[in-house]
Amino acid sequence: MGIKIVPRYGNTLKDKLYLPAIFGGMKTTISHFTKNLRDTTNIKTQCYPEVGPIDITDRYRGVHRLTHREDDSVRCVACFMCSTACPAECIFIEATQRKDGVDEKMPKKFEIDLLECVFCGGCVEACPCDAIRMDTGIFTFIAQKREDFVLNKEQLLANKSLGEEK
Amino acid sequence: MATITVDGKEIYAKDGSVLIEELLANDINIPHFCYHPALGKDGNCRMCMVEIEGKKRPQIACDTPVSDGMIIRTKGENINRVKRQILELELINHPIDCPICDQAGECSLQNYYMDVGLYDSRLDTPKNKKRKHTDLGANVMLDQDRCVLCTRCVRFTKNITKTHELGVVVRNDHSYISTFPGTKLSNPYAMNVIDLCPVGALTSKDFRFKQRVWFLKPEVAICDGCSRGCSINVDHNREKYKDDIVYRYRPKYNKEVNGYFICDYGRLSYKKENDNRLKNAYIRGMESEFEYAILKLERLLKRYNSKTLLLISPNLSLEEIYRLKKLAQKIDAQINGFDENFDENFGDDFLRKSDKTPNRKSIELLNIKNTKEDLQEQIKNKEFVLFIGREDMQTVENLDFDGSIGVMTYKDFKEKNKPDIVVPIVSHTGRAGTFINCDGFVQFSSCEIKRDMQSVKILDFLEIILNDGVTECEKVWSSGLNKEEFLNSISLSMIKSKSIKIEIK
Repeated sequence: MGIKIVPRYGNTLKDKLYLPAIFGGMKTTISHFTKNLRDTTNIKTQCYPEVGPIDITDRYRGVHRLTHREDDSVRCVACFMCSTACPAECIFIEATQRKDGVDEKMPKKFEIDLLECVFCGGCVEACPCDAIRMDTGIFTFIAQKREDFVLNKEQLLANKSLGEEK
Repeated sequence: MATITVDGKEIYAKDGSVLIEELLANDINIPHFCYHPALGKDGNCRMCMVEIEGKKRPQIACDTPVSDGMIIRTKGENINRVKRQILELELINHPIDCPICDQAGECSLQNYYMDVGLYDSRLDTPKNKKRKHTDLGANVMLDQDRCVLCTRCVRFTKNITKTHELGVVVRNDHSYISTFPGTKLSNPYAMNVIDLCPVGALTSKDFRFKQRVWFLKPEVAICDGCSRGCSINVDHNREKYKDDIVYRYRPKYNKEVNGYFICDYGRLSYKKENDNRLKNAYIRGMESEFEYAILKLERLLKRYNSKTLLLISPNLSLEEIYRLKKLAQKIDAQINGFDENFDENFGDDFLRKSDKTPNRKSIELLNIKNTKEDLQEQIKNKEFVLFIGREDMQTVENLDFDGSIGVMTYKDFKEKNKPDIVVPIVSHTGRAGTFINCDGFVQFSSCEIKRDMQSVKILDFLEIILNDGVTECEKVWSSGLNKEEFLNSISLSMIKSKSIKIEIK
């Protein structure tokens, strides 16, 4: 392994003393400190997680949801386009006959493993029925066990879009 | 012989033969619905239009005899426009429900649309609605909306099975395929209409919604349902975190043996590859460690030596039977292939045979005794009977045998506490092998699906005892099988590409 010798920065006395640079930095720190102390309402940092982010846009790819039809039943027809498109192969579907006459086919099982998902949005692009979306705005998910990160059909159907929640 | 020019390329064809056959034989893509090599032309779909020099209008290739000097165009602006317009007519009432259609991925209509269609619908009146997901009987589901009325299925029941169950009823764009009122599709070959149907109108009830076809990986095998030994495609897939599963059998075209079709019994016999499998080894009825059971069986064979009878199944491959014969010679044991798996009601004059085992001919040709009298004679003074590929223990119990029993099988069975040892082996699609059918066709089944479940290949097991490094079919052939008299001038590479008939005395 070769060693690259980097030439030392600063040849003037001012640079070699270091102290002017330290005081220059301190000046910035102290000016921000006093400014924020005088007006606490304008601080840019957030008290996460007590305060959530406010800048999540409609295009943000959050946790998936399964959409509903007008009659509130599942829109998905289990065509497997999303799991075909999925690069992480994290969508597990089992299809079954739909009996209520609305359509012919529906998912019996529809699971997404969030730990495997890379949030690429390929499934949303691939869906021919607009049945899967990533517009929930959920960017964080917590669970005790690995198994709990696998969202089932009911959980995905219960997820709401960002607009609905507001 | 006639020389015809297709898209500027000269091809040689038989004078008077059907043009579409010659074009398809030369790998020229001709869209077609109603023409099928087994059913012939019908001329109703008009998809196979080609331009022929000297003819005013495009002609259908399925009803045009070849004559010398024909100049044919299958591509080009004119002919593509014609195809587009025909497709547009076909799709006027088509529901375009590909996402829920099981045929999607192997659908001719879908393929042709992607090739030449690609138009936007100009329809502003509602589509004609017919009946969807209708159960026709015999595991066939009909969707009348998706039908293109090519009448392949109708002609199949008319010309091949001669049962006449299906017909086209009602006129013009309201017409649909149906059975006669109150009757169902019922004949032992009915499910072939699923493969014949070029679109998703006829789909399998058994395969319905199980898997999308683009996930399936096809392997070539020989059906082990009866002694006909039809060529089949085995469609299997391993889903993530799951074991490999066989989803369906499809007929594979084999001119010599089964043509384009297989029977429904053979088609549905894929289920035994997945269900009711023996998953563990057992020693005296207790679940045992797999490797230990194999060593134990090896020790048993060595201990009983000449007091052993190997009762082999005619479901085993030629290579396995040959090696088992070798084992019998080495340990001086007896070997017998008696099996009563006949069903007189099963056989017919088309494909099905009353002998429901795929390889009885191999046992006969290798001069292995296979009659009940021989078995009675051979079992005398024997202390250990090893069932290989079978678990019909009553066969020896009826002969008052009371010694030890060993079973090597892939099927789960009830009386697992009876034998001293039970070892699971791989199933039919898990290992490659040669099979000799009822007419003496030597055929190779190359399907070797690897599964997670514990099971041993018989060739691998025999190698432990015979200890000569022969575990592959190729090595079995080169280690002496190719010197067998009945296989003279046949090599393994020859039967890998086609079935070869041998003379049987």
